[in-house]
Amino acid sequence: MSGIAPILEARRLSKRFGGFLANDAIDLSVEAGEIRGIIGPNGAGKSTLVNLITGVHQPSAGDVLLAGESLVGRKPHEIARKGLVRSFQVSRVFGNLSVIENLLASHLADARMRETHGQGFAKATRLLELTGLIRLADAPAKTLSGGQRVLLQAAAGFMMPSLTCYLLDEPFAGVNPVIKDQLIALIEEESRARGVTFVIVSHEMAVMRRLCRKITVLIEGRVVVEGSLDDVAARADVVAAYLGKSLV
Amino acid sequence: MKYTSRVAAFAMLLLASLVTPPVQAQEPVTIGLVVPLSPPGDPTAGQLIRRGAELALDYYNGKGGVLGGRKLQLSVQDSQGRPEGGVAAYRRVVGEDKAVAVTGFFHSSVNIAANEVAKSIGVPTIGTQTSAADITAKHYEIAFRTHLIDPLRVAAWLEFMQKKGFKRVSMLAETSDYGIGLVTETDRQIKEKKLPIELQSLTFDRTSTDLTPQLLQVKAFRPDLLVNVGVGAPMDLMIEQAATLAITPQVPMLVSYDAPIRPQFWQLHPNTGDKLYFIAYYSPKQTLSEIGTWFTKAYEEKYKESPVYSSLNGFGDVAIIAQAVEQAKGADPKAIIQTLETGKFAFWSSGEVTFPKADGVFWHNFSPPVLILQFQKPGQDWKEAEVMFESGK
Amino acid sequence: MFSFELFTQALLAGIVIGVIYALMALGITFIYSIVKMINWAMGEFYMLGSYAQYLIVAYWLGPDLWYIAAILSAATVFFAGWLIEPILIKPMFTGGIERRDDYATVVTIALLLLLRNLATAISGPYQRTPGTNLPGVMLGPLPESGARFAAFLAALAAIALFTLLLKRTWLGLALRATSQSRVGAQTSGVDVLSLDKLAFGIGVGLAGLAGALLAPVFMVYPTNGVVTTTKGFEIIVIGGLGSVPGALVAGVALGIAESLGATFIASAYQNAYGFVLLLLVLALRPSGLFGERLRQA
Repeated sequence: MSGIAPILEARRLSKRFGGFLANDAIDLSVEAGEIRGIIGPNGAGKSTLVNLITGVHQPSAGDVLLAGESLVGRKPHEIARKGLVRSFQVSRVFGNLSVIENLLASHLADARMRETHGQGFAKATRLLELTGLIRLADAPAKTLSGGQRVLLQAAAGFMMPSLTCYLLDEPFAGVNPVIKDQLIALIEEESRARGVTFVIVSHEMAVMRRLCRKITVLIEGRVVVEGSLDDVAARADVVAAYLGKSLV
Repeated sequence: MKYTSRVAAFAMLLLASLVTPPVQAQEPVTIGLVVPLSPPGDPTAGQLIRRGAELALDYYNGKGGVLGGRKLQLSVQDSQGRPEGGVAAYRRVVGEDKAVAVTGFFHSSVNIAANEVAKSIGVPTIGTQTSAADITAKHYEIAFRTHLIDPLRVAAWLEFMQKKGFKRVSMLAETSDYGIGLVTETDRQIKEKKLPIELQSLTFDRTSTDLTPQLLQVKAFRPDLLVNVGVGAPMDLMIEQAATLAITPQVPMLVSYDAPIRPQFWQLHPNTGDKLYFIAYYSPKQTLSEIGTWFTKAYEEKYKESPVYSSLNGFGDVAIIAQAVEQAKGADPKAIIQTLETGKFAFWSSGEVTFPKADGVFWHNFSPPVLILQFQKPGQDWKEAEVMFESGK
Repeated sequence: MFSFELFTQALLAGIVIGVIYALMALGITFIYSIVKMINWAMGEFYMLGSYAQYLIVAYWLGPDLWYIAAILSAATVFFAGWLIEPILIKPMFTGGIERRDDYATVVTIALLLLLRNLATAISGPYQRTPGTNLPGVMLGPLPESGARFAAFLAALAAIALFTLLLKRTWLGLALRATSQSRVGAQTSGVDVLSLDKLAFGIGVGLAGLAGALLAPVFMVYPTNGVVTTTKGFEIIVIGGLGSVPGALVAGVALGIAESLGATFIASAYQNAYGFVLLLLVLALRPSGLFGERLRQA
């Protein structure tokens, strides 16, 4: 272990849906400032893991810690306010709110931040510039394209004043290359400038190779291996899980 | 022998049952009370009738009950002023609580619907404050009534209009059996008697709270008199809204029943109730019967206000049933019907009540006298309201 | 009996009552959009508001301070809703209840019966009125009672204030976000469950305000809220569930349809014209005038 304490930790985390064990005693340790990738075939339990960490589901067993503090039993909004933010596979932008209001909505969560309306506005404007959505700032979010919504949703997470750790669930799925690049740039910028920790669930191996030095592979609800993408892709069990197709 | 001993035991039992007084002798006699306690019915009327009925119980039970010691009890059910609610209520008091007669009816449509069921079940009804002709005009064996009937009410106000010289009359009536019945009857009598009255009749749904559209038409008609045929809240709303539209007081209003004598009337209409005409069935200047006098005293003691017609009639009808049970020497509904048809009964008003098999709407019907009163100043006690008209005088 | 004067009078009367209807409907549509439930007891909160107004005016402030009384009454009803929500409504989301719509229906109908019977038991079935000293006004050719005109103006002001709250405040933003996506709002850090409590309070408070304003016009009695519920539901179906401008437009449309229909077609069917309008809207635009065809993700 390196000397740095993990910012996000899962200990023997399990979730059972009826007879199906979706997550089986998962151990995960993410260091502050890291960009961690999580991959695995469909049905491996990736989204369940994200839901357990962010309080959408309660675990059947095990614990989740953010900076050493347990999150089990906390409500989703409390977890978000503690700085652990997530995005959804299916975008959850607020269609009838304007683009900038979508960003401001995340800024207002903490009542103390409401005093700093100007700061929130400035931050939202900067994010819109970074994502190229600035000219659409006052348009209703429902008029955005699918890719633009993904960008907006990802950007909304950065508005959270206390953001320390950001879980992105399939952020690149169905997004065109231009927006994909904007999103990657955004992640790199926030990682570098604010030291935000990222956990990214994705199938996009090229992107994962570029962003993540360490990848965790989930198969049938269990962590089978951790390491660089090239290392894990070389493993026979990983290749087999992807139906014999080469990962890279 | 086993066999004979069993027969002997049975015979003994039979004998014993003949000599010992029937166990049910102390069982109470139940009287059904079907009243509106929630809208669209008029819950105020329901409560007032119930008050009267309960005091009748106090009166007879205080004297030791009926039939040598059986207590009277009430089975009260809410009709909600709806025919189907009334039918259900009738079935419940008769079926579950074994009522020997059912009274308390306030809404004509409820009484009519209940009578259709009562006809086959055979437990009699007494209409307490229902005025539609059909209640008694159908000549059902089970149908009785102690309330002013439509033709007499209409005859009274037409006579009153004649006396006052009202030539253009607007009638604003709710779409109930009561409202429609009165509009139809008024129209019929005007034609039959060839009276020089031009009648504008308008109707409204009982659940309406805003009568502005109807009253605008009344205003455009420029009548000499506006007859308010609403019951409960719509009646009160019409008084207020007619004043708002500046119809009253220039055009006087006649309220079709005695609602203005209720204690809350002036609280509701501090500025709009003055000079109002209203039909009444009772004035404190009338001489009351012995039980009527007992009742007014008991009522004033219990409720700290004077009784009104609804309570008086609720009392009177339960008193009639109690007397009929006593006179019939039993609680069998058939015998009670028989007794009601032939007997004479004390009521709250002076004189005796009978239910002869008379013609038409007068079948099984007892009509108290009808009065038209008028307030002379705002806040006036109804007992001091001027008697402007009295039927039969 | 058509005359231009009568037409103008009926039209004006329809607009006035329509805006008042809109205020009655606003709370239903607002609660639905946040808490995702239909509150069948809405009329009973209108009733509570009218009783509060009656008590405050008759026993404390007097009719001249009706506007202060109305604010206090609305606040009282808000507070009642705020207290009731965690007990009755919150279990819908936290109690592992599977059929939420059924649960909400049963619970609010039970609440309706409880409040109605409680009012009858405490105050008796009598009609009451707080009374009013407001002089009548002339709206063109239409004489209008001062209290009703005041209720009309106050309803307009309340709807405007409510719109401002939604559009211009942090709370409004949180409410609008929650109405779009509860989960999305939660991940933005919005405490949706306490927002439910607030939204339920505000929603029933709006009905309570309507009850307070209309207490001298339509009187105070245990079942005076029935109209609120029936008109309210007609309006939200016509205007579109969850839409504030929809409630205003549909309220006025309903008021005008009833007034003109009752004046020029047949007065007995006053309450039916709204349903005709409702069926028409449902046939042409099933999601209502301002409703969204599909919920946006």
